[in-house]
Amino acid sequence: MELTRRELLVLGGAAGAATLLSVPAQAQKRGGDVIVGTISAPPTTDAQTTSAEVARNISLHWIETLYARDENGNPIPDLAQKCDISADGKTYTFTLRQGVRFHNGQEMTAQDVKASMERYGKVGGSAAIMRSVDSITPASKYVVRVVLKTPVPGFIDQISSPRAPLGIMPASEGDKDRNKISHIGTGPYQFMEFKPDSHVLLKRFDGYTPNANYTRRDGFSGKKTAYFNTVTFRHIPEGGARAAALETGEIQAVDMLPPPTADRLKGNRNIKIYPVMPWAFQTIMINAAWGPTAHQKVRQAIQATLDCEETMAIASEGLYRLTHGWQHPGTTYFAGDIGKEFYNQKNAAKAKQLLQEAGYKGEEIVFLTDSNYKNHHETAVVASEQLKKAGMNVRLNVTDWPTAFNARLKPEGWNLWALGFGIEPYEGPYTVAGYFTSEYGGKGVQHTSDPELARADAALNTSLKVEDRIKAFADFQKRFFEFVPGIKVGDLGRYQATRANVAGYAPGRIPRMWDCWFE
Amino acid sequence: MGRYLVYRLLSAIPILLIVSLVSFLIIFLVPGDPASEIAGPGASADEVARIRQSLGLDQHVGIQMLAWYQRLLQGDLGQSILLHRSVTTAILERAPVTLSLACLALVLSVGPALVLGVVAAVRQNTWVDQSAMTTALLGLSLPDFWVGLVMIYLFAVLLGWFPTGGYVELSKGMWPWLQSLIMPAAALGLAQLGLLARITRATMLEVLRQDYIRTARAKGAPERHVIGRHALANTLIPVVTVIGITVGILLGGAVVVESVFALPGVGRLIIGAILRRDYPVIQGGLLLTASIYVFVNIMVDILYAWLDPRVRYE
Repeated sequence: MELTRRELLVLGGAAGAATLLSVPAQAQKRGGDVIVGTISAPPTTDAQTTSAEVARNISLHWIETLYARDENGNPIPDLAQKCDISADGKTYTFTLRQGVRFHNGQEMTAQDVKASMERYGKVGGSAAIMRSVDSITPASKYVVRVVLKTPVPGFIDQISSPRAPLGIMPASEGDKDRNKISHIGTGPYQFMEFKPDSHVLLKRFDGYTPNANYTRRDGFSGKKTAYFNTVTFRHIPEGGARAAALETGEIQAVDMLPPPTADRLKGNRNIKIYPVMPWAFQTIMINAAWGPTAHQKVRQAIQATLDCEETMAIASEGLYRLTHGWQHPGTTYFAGDIGKEFYNQKNAAKAKQLLQEAGYKGEEIVFLTDSNYKNHHETAVVASEQLKKAGMNVRLNVTDWPTAFNARLKPEGWNLWALGFGIEPYEGPYTVAGYFTSEYGGKGVQHTSDPELARADAALNTSLKVEDRIKAFADFQKRFFEFVPGIKVGDLGRYQATRANVAGYAPGRIPRMWDCWFE
Repeated sequence: MGRYLVYRLLSAIPILLIVSLVSFLIIFLVPGDPASEIAGPGASADEVARIRQSLGLDQHVGIQMLAWYQRLLQGDLGQSILLHRSVTTAILERAPVTLSLACLALVLSVGPALVLGVVAAVRQNTWVDQSAMTTALLGLSLPDFWVGLVMIYLFAVLLGWFPTGGYVELSKGMWPWLQSLIMPAAALGLAQLGLLARITRATMLEVLRQDYIRTARAKGAPERHVIGRHALANTLIPVVTVIGITVGILLGGAVVVESVFALPGVGRLIIGAILRRDYPVIQGGLLLTASIYVFVNIMVDILYAWLDPRVRYE
C-alpha cells in the first residue's frame, strides 16, 4: 500500500498543507519569561504515564510524538516524516525525521522510538494501545517497523493522542520505571524543575530542530518555534487569585478562567480573552446493571426528562453549546442528526409513560457526583431536580473525586454519574465507543454489554475503509440513543486568557507557549 | 521539672502510635486511591487497575501497614506516590513556607491582640472597649479566604503593593520574602487576633477584680505598673494556652490561606494528599501534625511554670 494512505490523509495526514492558523504578520521576538497560571500541579511529570490534563498541558511542551494532532484534532506527522501502512493494515513503517535532537544533544533514532514504545506498553497512561502490537523493529537508523497482531485502523489516532502522550525519549530511558525518568524529550522547551504545589519550570531548547515539512504551528505538530526564554507553569488553585495575578501582570497566561471572571475582564485592555469551544462533553453516565436504571425504559425516561439547556447553563456558568452528537460537529466521524430527536426532549409526559411501562414504583435512583469539579456537581444537582419533578426518586450522593471515581467502577451502589468527557471526543470515535464497549471485558462504563453497540464498535475498530468506519460510528450513535448507557447534556467551553502583550497565542486544548512571544 | 518533661515526652509515644494507626486505617476505609488521580478523569478501569498494581496498592492492607511501620521505626516516612520524593523531603521543602507564615501570623496577631484585649478591659464599657471588641469580632467572623481575596484585590490589583500570591524564598531578599507573606499572614492572623483579644479582655477583667490588684492600687502603685506587672502577668496563663493551640493550627498548615495565596506550604501538602489519596504523605503529615500539637503542649506547660512560679511539675 502507498505509504501515506489516502485514508490517513483524510484523517489529517496533510502534512505540508496544514497551516490553519492565521497569525498576523508581526515581528516575533525572542526572550522574556512567561508564567502560565494553572489550576493545580500535575500528579506526575512522567509524560507517558498519566492522562491528567494538567500534566499533558505541561509535558507537551517538552516531549513530542511520532504523530500529533493538528489544529482540528486530526493526526499529522510530527517526529515521523511519514508512515507506510501495509495493505493488510498490520504493518506500520515509520520513517523518522533526521537530525532531531534530544535535550541531551543526542540524535533521535529508531532505537529510541522502539524503547519509548516498549516503555509505554509497560507504564503508559493508555498502555492498552500497545496490546495490539506484535513487534517493534528498527529497520534502519531512521526507520521503525511496527507489526500489529490484527489490523487496528485507529492505531495512528491512538499513538498521536495527547491524552497520555506516547512521547519519544532516549533509549536509555526505556527501562525506567514510572516517575524515574530524566525528563529528556525533543520538544521546543526542556524540563528544568518541578516544585510541587508551586510550579514547573521549562527552558527554551536552543538545539530544537523545527519540522521543515511545515511552515507554521499546527495543533501539537507543525513548525514550532520557542520564543520565550522560560515558561513557568505556576499552580494557583483559587480562581479569583488566578485572575488577580493576570490582572496585575504577575502571570501572563491562564489556561482556565471562570466564565464570570472572563466576562468581567473582557473590557480590560491589558487582557485578551480566548473562548475555546467545544472543550468537553458534559455527560451523565448510567449504570445499566443495577437498580431501576437496569431497565432500558427507565434510562429512556431519564433521557426524555432532561432539560439540557437549563443544566448546561448552570453547569458551565454560561459557556456552553447544545449539541447531541458523540463526536464534535465538523470532525470526520460526526454522525449528523442521528439521535437528535432524543436529545433535550424535556418531555415529562413521555417520561411518565416510559416509567409506567418499565413498572417503576419510586425505587431510589442514586446520582453519584463529586465536589471537586463544579460542572460535575452542578449537572448532578440540576438534573436530579428535573428528574424528581418527573416523578423519579433521586438521591444525590456527593463525594470527593477519588471516591466517586472509585464508586463508579463498581456495578452497584450508583445509577447516574456526572462526568466531563473532554479528551475522549477530542481523540476521536475509538475512545468514545470503547468507553461503552471495552471496559470490564466488554461491559462498558454502564456495566452491561450490548451486542449492537459491541457490533458497531467492532466494525469501527476493524474496517479498513474510512467510509465503513464512519458508518460504524453512526450505527453506534443510533443505538446509543436507544440503549442509553449515558446521556450527553451538551458541550462545555472554556476561557483561556493572556496579557495583551502576548502575541501570536492561539487558544486550544492546551495553552501552547510556542509560536507566541512578548510584544 | 526534668522528670515531668521526660514523662510527657514518653507519654507522647503511644499517642503518636495511636494517631499513626488510626490515620492509616481511616485512609484505607475511604474509597479511591492515588491510581485514579494518576490515571486522570475518564481513565478506564483497566488503566486504573494497572497503575494500582504497579504502586503495590493491590496488596493486603495489613502487609502495607507492616511495611509502613517497619520504615517508620527506622525514621523513614516513606515515599510519596505522587510527588516523586520522600515524604520527609516533601515536608521539609514546605516547612520554611509554613514556618514563615506561622511566625509572621503570630507576630501580627499576638501583639495587637494583647494590646486590644488589655485596653478594652481597662476601658471597659467605653467606646474604646466597643471599638476594640468590634474589631476582634470582625476578625473572628470574616472567613480568611474572603479576607484574603479582598486583600488581593485591594493591595495587589488596585494598589500594587504586594504580589497576588506565590512564595519568595528568604534567600532572594528580605523584602521580597516579606512581601510574599504579609497578606497571607495578615489574613491568617486576623482570626487569631480576634480570638486572642477577646480572651485577653475576659481574663483581664477577671484579674482586675482580684484582691491583689486592689492591694496594689491601695498601696499607691502607678496604674501602668498595676496593669503591666500584676494584671497582665496573671492574664497570660489562659492566653498562652490559646496561643499554644493557635501555634498548632498554624504549624499544621493553613490550607485555605495557602490555597488563596498559592503558597506551597504543609497545609496544601496534606490536603492535596488527602484529595489525591497519596497515602504515605497523609500518614506522614498527620503524624507530623500530631507531633506538633504534642510538642507545643509541652512547651505551653513549661511556659506555665515560667509565667507563674506557683506552678510546679513534680
